[in-house]
Amino acid sequence: MTDTKAPPERREVLPVDPTRRTEIDKQRVPMSARPYRLLALVKQDAVVRVQKEPDDTVMTWPHLLTIEFLAAGVMSIFLLMMGLFINAPLEELANGNVTPAVAKAPWYFLGLQELLAYFHPTVAGVLVPAFVLVGAALIPYVDRGDVLAIRPSQRKTAVILFTMFCILGLALTFVGIFFRGPGYTFVIPYVTAPGMYFAL
Amino acid sequence: MSFLERVDQTIRRSPVWRSIFRQPYPRDERSRAYAVMNNVFLHIHPVRVRQHAVKFAYTFCLGGLSFFLFLVLTVTGVYLMFFYVPSAAQAYDNILDIQSQVTFGLLTRNIHRWAAHLMVFFVFLHMMRVFYHGAYKPPREFNWVVGVVLLFLTIMLSFTGYLLPWDQIAYWAITIGTNMGGYAPLFNTPVSRILLGGVEVGQNTLLRFYVLHIMVLPLVAAIFLAVHFWRIRKDGGISGPL
Ligand code: HEM
Repeated sequence: MTDTKAPPERREVLPVDPTRRTEIDKQRVPMSARPYRLLALVKQDAVVRVQKEPDDTVMTWPHLLTIEFLAAGVMSIFLLMMGLFINAPLEELANGNVTPAVAKAPWYFLGLQELLAYFHPTVAGVLVPAFVLVGAALIPYVDRGDVLAIRPSQRKTAVILFTMFCILGLALTFVGIFFRGPGYTFVIPYVTAPGMYFAL
Repeated sequence: MSFLERVDQTIRRSPVWRSIFRQPYPRDERSRAYAVMNNVFLHIHPVRVRQHAVKFAYTFCLGGLSFFLFLVLTVTGVYLMFFYVPSAAQAYDNILDIQSQVTFGLLTRNIHRWAAHLMVFFVFLHMMRVFYHGAYKPPREFNWVVGVVLLFLTIMLSFTGYLLPWDQIAYWAITIGTNMGGYAPLFNTPVSRILLGGVEVGQNTLLRFYVLHIMVLPLVAAIFLAVHFWRIRKDGGISGPL
C-alpha cells in the first residue's frame, strides 16, 4: 500500500508587502517550524556555531542596570530636594461662590484653554483634543515612508510637521500659563500685572 | 578579615540568605546572564542589549524615568491614602493634617505633587524622543499606539488627582477643565455630567475622581505599561541605531 503523503501545507510568513518587511517579520517563523524555546544558556564552545552574526550587544548586567540605577538615584535626590524645599500649593477651602481672579485648568490643558479664547468650546474642548490624540495614534499608519529611513534627515516632511505641531502646542500653553491674568485677559506678568497667575 | 567582612560573610552564608539568593553575587558573564534571566524584576530585560541602546543620549532614560516616577507616585500615593477621606467636608482638613501632623506628611505630599507634574512632562518628552528616532515605524507601530494611550492615562491620572486637595486651585481648575471637555456627548449626556456626577463640581465629583485616581486609572495604566514593556522586547528591543 502506497501512502503518498499530501505535500505539507506551506506556512508562509504573512506580513505585508515585501518592501515593508522588518527584521521582526523576517525572524517570524511559524510555531510548527520552531518547537523550542530558550530555557538555558550554554557555553559558547559547547555548540557548533553555524553562522556568527556581528555582535553589537553588551551585557545587561552591568551596562544597562548601572545606568538605570544611576538615573533612578539622581531622580530620587532631585525629588527629595524638590519635596524638601518647595511646598506643593494649597489655597483656601474650595468655594463655588468665590470665583478666583482667573480660573485656570492644569498646565497641560492650558493650550486648550487658550484655544477656548478663540474658538467655540466644541472646537477647543472636544474636536482639537480628539484630533490630537487620534492623530497621534495614527502617525505610524499615516507615515508610510521607508521603514528603514529613521533619521530625521531622511524624513523631513514628518519631522517638520511634527515639530511645527509641538511648537504650536507649546506656544499656546506658554501663553496660557504666563500671559493670561484676571478674567483671562492678556497680561505681561510683573509689567502690566502685579505677578503671575499660575499654580502648579 | 575585618569585622565588617565577617558580618557580611555570615549573612551571605546563612540559610536564610541562601534561600532567597540561590547564587552568589554574580561576577562573571555567565552568572550575570543567569541573574538577569532568573530574577523576577530583572527579567523584564533581555540578557544582552544592543550597545547604542544603553547610551544615555539615545533614550535619555525618559521612558525608564517615566516608569520610575509612576512607581514613586504609587508609593507616596498609598501613604497619603492612609490620611485622606474623599469627602467634601473632610478632604481639605485632611490635607492640612497631612501637612502639619502626619510624620513626613508634607514631604510626601510635596514629592507626590512634583513627581506627578514631572511624569506628565517626561512622558511627553519621551514621546518626542520616540518620534524623532522614527521609532514608531514598523514593527513598533502598535507600541506607539499603546504609548498614546499611556499619555492619555498619565494626563487623566494627574487631572483626577488635582481635585483631591479640595482647595480653590483644585475646585476651579477642575471646573474649567471639565467645562472644556463637557461638550462631548456620551450616551446622550455631556461627558461633564458623567464625570462630575452632577451639574457642578461637588461631593459626587470628588468621590468619582478619587476612585478613578487611586484605583481605576492606576490599574489600567499598569496593564498598558505591561503591554508596552512586553512589546518593546517583542518588537526587537530598542530601535536604532540612527
Ligand atoms: C506612562 C508612560 C510611558 C512609559 C512609562 C513608557 C516607558 C517606556 C520605556 C521604559 C521604553 C524603553 C526605551 C526608553 O526608555 O525610551 C519605551 C519605549 C517606547 N515607547 Fe514608551 N513609555 C510611555 C509612554 C509612551 C508614549 C506616550 C509613547 C508614544 C506615543 C511611547 C512610545 C514608545 C515606543 C514606540 C517605544 C520604543 C522606542 C524604541 O524602540 O526606540 N511610550 N517606553
